[in-house]
Amino acid sequence: MTTVEAPPRSRTARPPKPRPGPTRYVAAAVIAAITYWAASETTGIGLVPQLSEVFVDGLSERTGQIVSDIFNPAFEDAPATGGPFLETLSMAVLGTLMGCFLALLVAFGSSLVTAGGLKRYRFTKGLMSLLRSVPDVLWALLFVAAIGTGALSGVLALVLFNIGVVAKLLSETIDAVDTKALEAADAAGAGLVQRARVAVFPQVLPNYLSFSLYAFELNVRASAILGIVGAGGIGVLLNLARNQFRYDRVSLIVVEIFVFVFLTELVSIALRRRLVR
Amino acid sequence: MITFSDASVTYPGGVKALQHVDLEIGDGQMIVIVGLSGAGKSTLVRAINGLVPLTGGEVTVDGRSVTKSSAKEMRAIRSDVGMIFQGFNLVNRTSVINNVLMGRLYETPTWRTLLGRYPAEDVNFAMECLERVEIVEKAWVRASNLSGGQQQRVGIARALAQRPTIILADEPVASLDPPTSHVVMRDLKRINRELGITVIVNLHFLDLARQYGDRLIGLRDGELVFDGTGDEADEEVFESIYGRSLTADDVLGEPAPGEVA
Repeated sequence: MTTVEAPPRSRTARPPKPRPGPTRYVAAAVIAAITYWAASETTGIGLVPQLSEVFVDGLSERTGQIVSDIFNPAFEDAPATGGPFLETLSMAVLGTLMGCFLALLVAFGSSLVTAGGLKRYRFTKGLMSLLRSVPDVLWALLFVAAIGTGALSGVLALVLFNIGVVAKLLSETIDAVDTKALEAADAAGAGLVQRARVAVFPQVLPNYLSFSLYAFELNVRASAILGIVGAGGIGVLLNLARNQFRYDRVSLIVVEIFVFVFLTELVSIALRRRLVR
Repeated sequence: MITFSDASVTYPGGVKALQHVDLEIGDGQMIVIVGLSGAGKSTLVRAINGLVPLTGGEVTVDGRSVTKSSAKEMRAIRSDVGMIFQGFNLVNRTSVINNVLMGRLYETPTWRTLLGRYPAEDVNFAMECLERVEIVEKAWVRASNLSGGQQQRVGIARALAQRPTIILADEPVASLDPPTSHVVMRDLKRINRELGITVIVNLHFLDLARQYGDRLIGLRDGELVFDGTGDEADEEVFESIYGRSLTADDVLGEPAPGEVA
């Protein structure tokens, strides 16, 4: 038989649970007020009036037609979407390959570990931030304006967008790399490019491939949309169907994009899991 | 020949790791540097290949100033000085042979490095270096799959691949068990004897230091406090280097298996 001794009574009394101050209620009220303000008519969005319109008046006949079209995709038109879909896929592939290759170079320049000088580091880092601050659709708009509509504009937009994303992720991986091997490369008299290639690249390769696959996922998604601004791919068809008020076709393309993106992600996730092990 | 003249290193933060050291190390010697951790052993060794820059004085290697060298001259000096590390410092995610070939980087054109296409004679020589440390059968194995002792031998092969005139070894056995420590120390001694390479080793075990060093250099608080042969370095000397009486932790304790070179 074992007896459990009561723990020795501590000399100081146990403190009561501190009562929450009024801060959280004030904060909650402020957030609620900001939300209402942002959704109200005064900001120009006018969500609140629109909501009441929908609930009080019900859907208009035209809206009802659109909703019904959307729930009845024009599957019979699916074969016609094959070509543009292939274009979307090749845009994503080309954009990923070129973008990720260039991202590799930019990434080495935007980590202090491999940049070889503060000036170069700051320059490349700035360039990277610039590339990343412009959304892919905006890049596409710029290229469409500069070199005309078509898949080339889309691919270029994806390349720039990818450099921004992959270089950012990869340069942060390089920052965290084990520097012991770098010390060994330095001690052997390696040059800047050599030490990066030999002592850093093998360490970040699995992550790099994983980031590139992620970039491909983003590209598949993005290239479906880029067509709306005229940069080639399935988006062109999507825009056309929308302009013709063929919401059954819009719905078909949306469903196809969904399946396509979903499958790409499945494959990409499976591959990435194998890589980073 | 390596010379230190009035060499000092003060780290940012004010730690004086090396203070006014004057030292000459002739060709072909096997030198052991002893001292407690923090005494400046690593700093002394890293000052030779410029991994740690001096804040005062000068270091020269074979007549070339490490202190005043340009980036290009520094690479040339480093290519003549191999280095072995406490933590092995291998690239874990690549093969043993690729690690050894890192020793050839200075002589290899950058485009070859980028493509990973080393000249055949370099690959051949890297294999010879692996043979010298008796681990050539692991050439195509990933470095991370080797034991600590095996990794350190790859580290030695990498240093040898530089065809160096000097090899620096910073606590090369501190991460190894006693029998393996002797294997590594014997390899270093053999390299010194057979190839005539100057070997400079940091150690903190006094028995290893006495057994393998032709010449012992004692450091305490960044100052040179002893310079003499292993025979001269008795317990009294070590107590003065360490600044305290000796304990069982100061010796590796295990005699070398078999004969010692």
